[in-house]
Amino acid sequence: MKSRWVVGGGVCLEQVFGTWTRTYPEEQIQRIELLPNDDYAFDLSALNALDPELGTMFVAFDERFGNFKRMELMQLVMEKGFRLERFVSPSAIVPPDAVIGPNVFIGEGVVIGIGGRIDFNTVIRDGARLGAGVHLRSSCWLETGVLVGDDTDIGAHSILRIGAVVGPRVKIGKHCELGWARLYDQNIPARTVFDTRYEEPIRVYGD
Amino acid sequence: MRSRMHPKFYLSQEIFEREQNKIFRKVWLFAGLKTLLPKNNSFITRKISGIPVVIQNFNGEIRAFENVCLHRNSLIQSEAVGCRPLVCPYHAWSYGEHGEVKNIPDCRSVYLISKAEQQKMKLREFSLRAIGNVLFINLSENPFPIGEQFRPHVIEMLESSSNLYDSEVMQTTFHCKFNWKLAYENLRDANHPRFVHRTSLANDVTFLPFVNTERAAEGLRALPDTSPAALREEMKRFSMAAAEAPLSNPKRLPFHDMVERWGSEDSYYNWLAYPNMHIASPNGGYSFTLEHHIPIAPDRTDLEIYWFTTRKKTKYAFSSWNLLSHMHGSRLVTGEDIAIMEKVQAALHEAAPVPTQGEYEFQNRLVERWYTLMMETDHEI
Repeated sequence: MKSRWVVGGGVCLEQVFGTWTRTYPEEQIQRIELLPNDDYAFDLSALNALDPELGTMFVAFDERFGNFKRMELMQLVMEKGFRLERFVSPSAIVPPDAVIGPNVFIGEGVVIGIGGRIDFNTVIRDGARLGAGVHLRSSCWLETGVLVGDDTDIGAHSILRIGAVVGPRVKIGKHCELGWARLYDQNIPARTVFDTRYEEPIRVYGD
Repeated sequence: MRSRMHPKFYLSQEIFEREQNKIFRKVWLFAGLKTLLPKNNSFITRKISGIPVVIQNFNGEIRAFENVCLHRNSLIQSEAVGCRPLVCPYHAWSYGEHGEVKNIPDCRSVYLISKAEQQKMKLREFSLRAIGNVLFINLSENPFPIGEQFRPHVIEMLESSSNLYDSEVMQTTFHCKFNWKLAYENLRDANHPRFVHRTSLANDVTFLPFVNTERAAEGLRALPDTSPAALREEMKRFSMAAAEAPLSNPKRLPFHDMVERWGSEDSYYNWLAYPNMHIASPNGGYSFTLEHHIPIAPDRTDLEIYWFTTRKKTKYAFSSWNLLSHMHGSRLVTGEDIAIMEKVQAALHEAAPVPTQGEYEFQNRLVERWYTLMMETDHEI
């Protein structure tokens, strides 16, 4: 019997496990919670009993540290030889020409426009809607209901919070956080953070 | 004991303007970070004491000019941080490293400005000094030496620490509804963290207020010498640099291995450069927050916050998110300070009671003695 392992934590872990349990009754679906220790590292000992040849894995984790913790866990399980699955909710609308990378999460009712490209480890939460030709680069996090207009490019590790409306034809640099509920209709430089706790955007200069 | 600080010092537009003329346009002020000016044509812009200023790298020479084109008064550089030649976007007048007008497109046919006249035109230049990677500006035409404003150990500690600042810098601004002086009174008040920051900063650091009766008594007496030199000498006492308090429970974070460390004490370090900059390293020299206070009006102060680590040993991909976690952590503490200072400002009115001062507030008392003399007499620095 084929196995599907859902590892990590947070709301996506429960959602993938629940959906796969209902969708694939003939397969063995296993939920394994892996959270960082006090020293911020993941303890992978719970995976030692698994044979990577017997199944596929989905890594679910929140957006902390610009999605880098989820990417770290993803890389760790890949180093152990696990193949990564993608998760597409049965209620999502994904056109046949869309390109969806490994460990991508596409939630309930999400709509991807034609020609969409979603790179690895990106999470699109329930109800988000993407226009045609949108490119979400790797390890992004789009919250519930986010709207992205046609031909918009979202940089890697960016976070779009509830209420963000982006595009069309806008380029959001990598490592941005669009946390103010508003229309973002101009290009945004990389490493710009709009957070509701701050009156002005937070910028990063230099490297 | 009653403070010398009558409410008018926090409310009056006339006093605000006097402060700008007698203090902010005379002393050395924090102006920016050299780490943001790494190459030719790198620049930063800001308003200092109401004057638009551009600080630009000209082949390694860093200079400060009034950021106003001599033609139609447009801002020459408009981004906060960037890299482009000193060329006005309005009609493309360009300027050289000494502020001279390098080129006026179609000068002879459109403007009819003679070569001799063009050669006389020059942007107003301001004195700039770097202490390590921290830039100070002086808007005066005859600036006094920066060593007359800060004590040698303040300069040494600022230079030593800032030489290790990383070049990746996070920045944002808070628009605060309080007078700038409240920020410095608050920064010198070691008795407030256990009340205002009870569940935040006070969990990690124990600040202990202490009484210096000799200094407190000194603050009650008139300044013995009110000459400009003596007033500058007195001002040196208002800036400090020190390991202020031990960390209760120093925590090892993953980024510590990725950066060099400044110093070796598990302490909360503080640098205060009166009248417009405060730096803290809340984790014993792994990262720094710089607070730049910009007086806008008697009851308005912009607070620019910078975060940076010490220099990276090697680049790591999540470094900007590391800075953001620092920013969010300090947002809590800064927000608590802003909230309490805005409450103080909101309560002020012309007939409000003059504050009652404790002996532990001896440092504030010394500043007030100097400040009120400056504001209420013709004495200058």
